[in-house]
Order: sequence, then C-alpha cells, then structure tokens
Amino acid sequence: MYRVMIIDDEESARKLMRVAIKWETLDMEVVGEATSGIEAINIIDDLRPDIVFVDISMPFMDGIEFTQIATDRYPNLIIIIMTAIDQFEYARKCVSMPVFEYMLKPMVRAEITRVLEKAKDRLDKDSREGKINAFLADAASEEINNDKNMTIEEDMSVQIKKFLEDNFTDSRLNLAFVAQHFGFSSSYLSRKFKQDIGKNFVEYLTELRMEKAKKIAGTGEKMFITAEKVGIPDPNYFSRCFKKYTGMSYTDFQSGFGEVVR
Amino acid sequence: MKTMGMQSENEINKKKGSLSRAIRNLFLVIILIVAVSFCVSVYFITENEKRNYAIQNAYKALMTLSNTITSKLSNYSEISRLIMTDERVMTFLRADTENVDNGIINDARYGIMEILNVKQGVDCVMIIREDMIIAATEPITYEYDTVYMESDEWREDIYNAKGRAVITLNSSGIAQKKDGSKVVTIGRAIYDMYTQKRTGILLMNISMDVFEADLRQLNLNNICIVGDDGQYLAGNKEFFEYYDTDYNSENIIYRNTGKYLISGLKISNVPIILLQASTYGNEAVPYAIIYVMIILLMIFMLETLYVRAFITRNITNPVRQLSASMERNKKQGELKRLEDEMPYSELDMLKNDYNNMIDHVNELIDTLVEKEKTLRKAELRVLQEQIKPHFLYNSLETIGFFALEAGADKVYDSLETLGSFYRNFLSKGDRVITVRREVQIVKDYLALQKLRYGDILEDIYDISEDTMDFPVPKLILQPLVENSIYHGIRLKGEKGTIKISSHLENTGVIRLSVRDTGIGMSREQISRVINLSQKDIGENGESSFGLWGTIERVRIYCGDNNVVNIDSNQGEYTEIIFFIKDMRNEITTEG
Repeated sequence: MYRVMIIDDEESARKLMRVAIKWETLDMEVVGEATSGIEAINIIDDLRPDIVFVDISMPFMDGIEFTQIATDRYPNLIIIIMTAIDQFEYARKCVSMPVFEYMLKPMVRAEITRVLEKAKDRLDKDSREGKINAFLADAASEEINNDKNMTIEEDMSVQIKKFLEDNFTDSRLNLAFVAQHFGFSSSYLSRKFKQDIGKNFVEYLTELRMEKAKKIAGTGEKMFITAEKVGIPDPNYFSRCFKKYTGMSYTDFQSGFGEVVR
Repeated sequence: MKTMGMQSENEINKKKGSLSRAIRNLFLVIILIVAVSFCVSVYFITENEKRNYAIQNAYKALMTLSNTITSKLSNYSEISRLIMTDERVMTFLRADTENVDNGIINDARYGIMEILNVKQGVDCVMIIREDMIIAATEPITYEYDTVYMESDEWREDIYNAKGRAVITLNSSGIAQKKDGSKVVTIGRAIYDMYTQKRTGILLMNISMDVFEADLRQLNLNNICIVGDDGQYLAGNKEFFEYYDTDYNSENIIYRNTGKYLISGLKISNVPIILLQASTYGNEAVPYAIIYVMIILLMIFMLETLYVRAFITRNITNPVRQLSASMERNKKQGELKRLEDEMPYSELDMLKNDYNNMIDHVNELIDTLVEKEKTLRKAELRVLQEQIKPHFLYNSLETIGFFALEAGADKVYDSLETLGSFYRNFLSKGDRVITVRREVQIVKDYLALQKLRYGDILEDIYDISEDTMDFPVPKLILQPLVENSIYHGIRLKGEKGTIKISSHLENTGVIRLSVRDTGIGMSREQISRVINLSQKDIGENGESSFGLWGTIERVRIYCGDNNVVNIDSNQGEYTEIIFFIKDMRNEITTEG
C-alpha cells in the first residue's frame, strides 16, 4: 500500500479525488489532506506519504514553495502538481524542480489513474533498489549518533526543546528547519526527540503554539491575528489545530472563555 | 495628407536651394569674377607695358635720328659757307652780267667741286646770281622751272634769313631731278664780303642716300622719312602710307594703327618728318609681374577651394548627416537618440536639442503607453474575472463530488467530460496543439453533444497512431464537427454518422477529414465557402462563418491558400478535408 497525500485549498477538490479514484485497485490509500503548504509541511513528517498531489495556487504557501521544501527533505517523494490551464506555463517554468508530473485541472479520472500507475512503477522500482541503500544509510547514521556521548545527546534534546519554546512563534519553524539548525537528519531528530522527551516533535510544537493561542484568544483577539502570532499564518489550518487541541472552535472557545471569566 | 506634406516640403527645399549648392555657386561666381578680372588686368597691363615700351623705343629712335640729321645738315651748312668764300665762286658772283661766260661759270663749278670732294652726299650745288645766271655742279640731271625761278616766292624765306641756312626740299622748288628722286636743299643768301651787298643764292642739294646711309648705320629699318609736303623721301617706304599732316609737329605724336604704334616727329627748322613704326613685341610683356599674379591667383583659388571644402565637410555634411539620421529615425519608426559626433558645438547644440526633444517625446509616448496598458490590464482583469475558469472548475468539482456521493456516476461522467472539454477549449497560449489533443477536444465535444442528440448521432474515429503528435492549429476540428451537426445531420432528420480521420500522406502532409452523413452541400455552397473573401463575409449569413473562419485560420497557419477540399453529394454526405504541412518549428507541444 502506497500512501497518498492530497494538498489543495479547495475542499471539494480533495473530497472529489478521494471519492473518484479507485485507490484500492491501485494498491494505494489516501492518508491525509492539507489545505495549504504550511499545513502540509507541518504534518508531512507524521503522514510520511509516498505520493503527493499539490495544487499549485494556494494561500500562505503555494505548490511550488512546498515542492522546494518537501523535496529537500524527502528526495524520493513523488510530487504531482495539479494546475488549472492558465497557470500551466507558470508551473512549467519551474522545470528544474523534481516534479513527477504536471496535471490539468479539473481532473479526469483516466489521466489520474494513468499517472498513478506510472508512479507506482517507479515506487516499486525505488523500493527494490533503494531499500538496501536506505537501510545502509540509516544504519550508518545510527552508528555515528550512537558513538556520541549519551549525556550530550539527552542534553541536546533538552536544548532543542528549549529552542522550540523560544522560537515556536516563527512560522518557518518545523522539523526540517530545526534538524538543519542542529545538524541532524529529520528522521533521526524526530525519533530521538520522541525517545527523549516522550512526545512527537510536531505534537510538541503544536502544543506550544496552541497554549499560546489559548492565552491570546482570551484577550479577545481575532483568530487570523492569533494564528499569525503563534506561527501558523494559515487561519484554516490554525482553526483545525485549535479545534483538535482544545476540543472546541476558536469562537466557541472565546465565548466559553468569556463565560468562565465572568 | 502625409505625401502631400512631403511634396510641399520637397518643393520648399527646391525653391530654397540647399546651402551646399548655394555655397558651390557662390564660390564658382567668386572664382569666375577673380579669373576674369585677372585676365582683364593682365591684358591691360600687358598692353600698356607694350605701348610704353614701344613709345620709349620710338622716342629714342626718333631723337637719335633727328639729332643725327640735324647735325649732318649743320655739317653741310658749314660746307656751303666754305663754298661761298671760294675765290672762283666769288668771282662768278661779282662779275657783271655781260662778263659772265662759260669760263667763269666753269671756274666756279670747279671751285665748288674741289670743296665738295671732302664731303660726300651732296648731289648738286647751285649758285644763283641775282640775274638768275646759275652755276651748278650737276647741270644735266636737273630740270629748271624757269617761270617759278622768276618769282620771289621761293626766295623770300632765304632772303629773310639774311644769310643763315634755310632748309627746303627739292631745290626750293625751282628744279626737279629728272629721275624724280628727292633732295633736301640747304639754301643761303650770299652777301659780298666787302660790300655786304647780296649777290645771289646758294642751294645745296643733299641726296637722300645720306639719310639712307644714316638709317642703315643706326640700324633703323622701321623709319620712314617724309617731306613736309607729303612726299616720300627715304627709309622704309612700307610705312609711308601711315603719314598724315598731323605728324608735322615738333613734339612727337604717337598714334595706334592697330598693328603698329606710329610715332611722328618733325625735325625742328627742317621740312622733314620722321615716321617710326613699332610693333608691340612680346619683349615688353611684364612676365615677372604676370607670374606673380598667377601665383597669387592660384593661392587664392586654392584657398577658395579649401574654404569650400571646409564648409562642406564641417558644416554642410554634418547638417546633412544629422538630417539623414533624423530621417532614418523617422523611417524606422523608433525615436532613438542620435549618436553622431558633431564637429562644432553649434551643431552639437542642434543634436542635443533634437535628442532632448526625442527624450521628451519618448517620455510622453511612454506615459501614454503606460496609461493605455494599465487601462487594458484593468479591462482584461474585469473580463477574466467574468469568465474565470477557476470558478467553473471548482463548481464542476463540487457538483461532481455531490454526484458521486449520491451514486449518480453518470452525472459525474458528464461533468468530467465537460471539464475536460472546457480546460482544452478555454486554454490560452497555445495556438498549435497535437492531433491527440485536438481529437480529444472533439471527442469531449461529441460526448457532450451526444447527451443531447444521442439518438441521432454516432461518431467514428480513424486516427493513425503516427499522426497523434502531429502539430496542427488549435480548434480546427471542433468547428467542422459543429458544422456537421447543425448544418448537416440535424437538418436531415435521421440518424447520422460523423467520422473523424487523420492520416499521413506520403508527402509528409497530414490529411485531416470530417465526414458526415448529413444533407450535403451544393456546388455553389462549396465554392462560396472556399472562395469567400474577407470582405464578403459581412454580407453573408453567419451560418458559414465558423467554417470559413476555420479554413482561413488553416490557410494563414500554412501560408498557403490550397489547404482545404470539400467533397459532397447532396443528400448523401459532406467531407471536409484539411491538408496541413508540418510546421514543427513553431510548435509548442504538451501532453
């Protein structure tokens, strides 16, 4: 089963793709969606997709920016860019990007299926050739990291935690950014962080942001401003995170908070 | 209007004349005037110099000769005085008339001849007594005018001179040489030494040989000696014809006779006029002066030419160059700054003024263009907002999701086809697409049309695989298919078939055809569609516009009018065939 992620700011487009394509027959499943590049970057470490459909025009972080960041982190990720015809030329200008295929919107099932079959072939081939290499590489990095003094490593996780607490309002902050900052690989950092702190890196970062958001919400601040202040400039994504974290919507939280205060 | 303006401009230029032509003319005139005045002045100076030279020569010659003759005559005059004092002559003169005989006369004659022996040139000496008895050295060669001798007329002057010599011509008129030759006569009244009583007259005739000898000796071959009675005496007879009485003057008279300068002088107290003829020889020409003047003239002309060249090179040519640059600028339609180097600041000023103007004009144009662009952009934005495909696509996706969710798969099939059709149909940018895409558009279009006319429409595709990637102008099949449905099949009222074929001809040309089993087209209709020109289209109904417009686009794309063939059997079928060359150079393919 290959894992598919759909990134599109149009909900109908995401839903349609989920429903219209016969994923099971392709031996694939849709593991997640995102409404913007920002959200996608934040959750991609958890979802670990093999194939990503990206709409090219999205607010806060468009498909091209996402592609640049994502391919840095996941060189083997298959990225399929979806674009309306009037942006097609714009997308083609980014030919240097490792994009697997450019596809026209609105989607046609036959075309999508054809491209997915092609992608599957590639993934099959990659996993055959790449598994051994990946294993060797992982083992090597593990070895190097194991050689280091454990106390320093634990210290390191604390340092990272401290770094997150100090900088989480910066919207650029994510796993890849931090990993690069401290000189680790993303996957190692993720694993190590969870091991040492007991929490997922993304979960922890979101937690920090939501706690801050709750405080700001209490002041009656507008949601999009709060979102901006805590480092999640996409208010839609912020809204979902907030709901997931607090169990209620931002406006509900604000009115409820008001009652509590009263 | 524009050409009129150009013409009048040219006319003005013609009327005004160009500066360079004016300068050339001016310099030509200056050079001409200078050359003419040079020639005239050289001529006058030369003529004057020649005349002065001739006059000088004449003066010298005449004065020399005049002095020579005068002194000669005074010599002879002295001799005549000697003769008077001769014993035998005195005896002859003193003797009474009745006592005068041949002996006395002969004695006197011998006496004279003895004296004359010392002096040549005396032709004859006559001693005439008061009683007209004559003792002459040459009795035979003379003929005497005895009547005239009796008169007092010839003697009067001699008597009045009281013994001084009086010079006359031809024995004072009393005797002529028998051979007609002329003589100059020195006459004296003779007075007795003792009594102081006049005893007679002495006439000494001097031969012209004397003068001829003088002329020879002085080497004066251009002098003619004339008597004051107008008779030729001696010298070059050639010039005698120029004599007239005006020359009877003791001051030199000069006169031009064309070929010669004739100078005349009457010798004082002598009835002889000297005529001298001088030619205007080149020896008088002042070559040095003329050479200097020629050199000056040359220098002047060179300067003139230099000034002209200078003006041409430094003023006229740069102005022309400037003008040509401006003209080029105008023709190119681009208003560029001029970069030509100008030799003088004045011309630079002109250039800079022009450049400043160009800059200003360009600024104005830019502002205008910018304004226009902004306006266009705004207008286009409004249009785009109105037909925003995003909205259409998102709506299609949303409706499609609802349809799938509700299990209405057929609805989604149609929506998908509609979406596919529109995204190909509305796409901008590409004018040229592959046959694959073109056929896909037709397939989508027919799929949608079949939703409406499924009961009467059937479509067949016969597309060779090797034509799939052949580049063709976008949207050329769909209008034909549309034409087939609305002007072919639907009008027939029975089920019809549309067949789309695409094959490669062996000439490398693609043969695209749309054949329908509709009502067909008449010959007139066919030829009208094929031969219709742009200006006719307005008058015709809109029905054939789509077809005509498509044909026209293919013609323009191929750069060839012969790209279409329409085959039809009325009531049976219509087949429209395009033959399209591979214009792959211009292609931009996708998918």
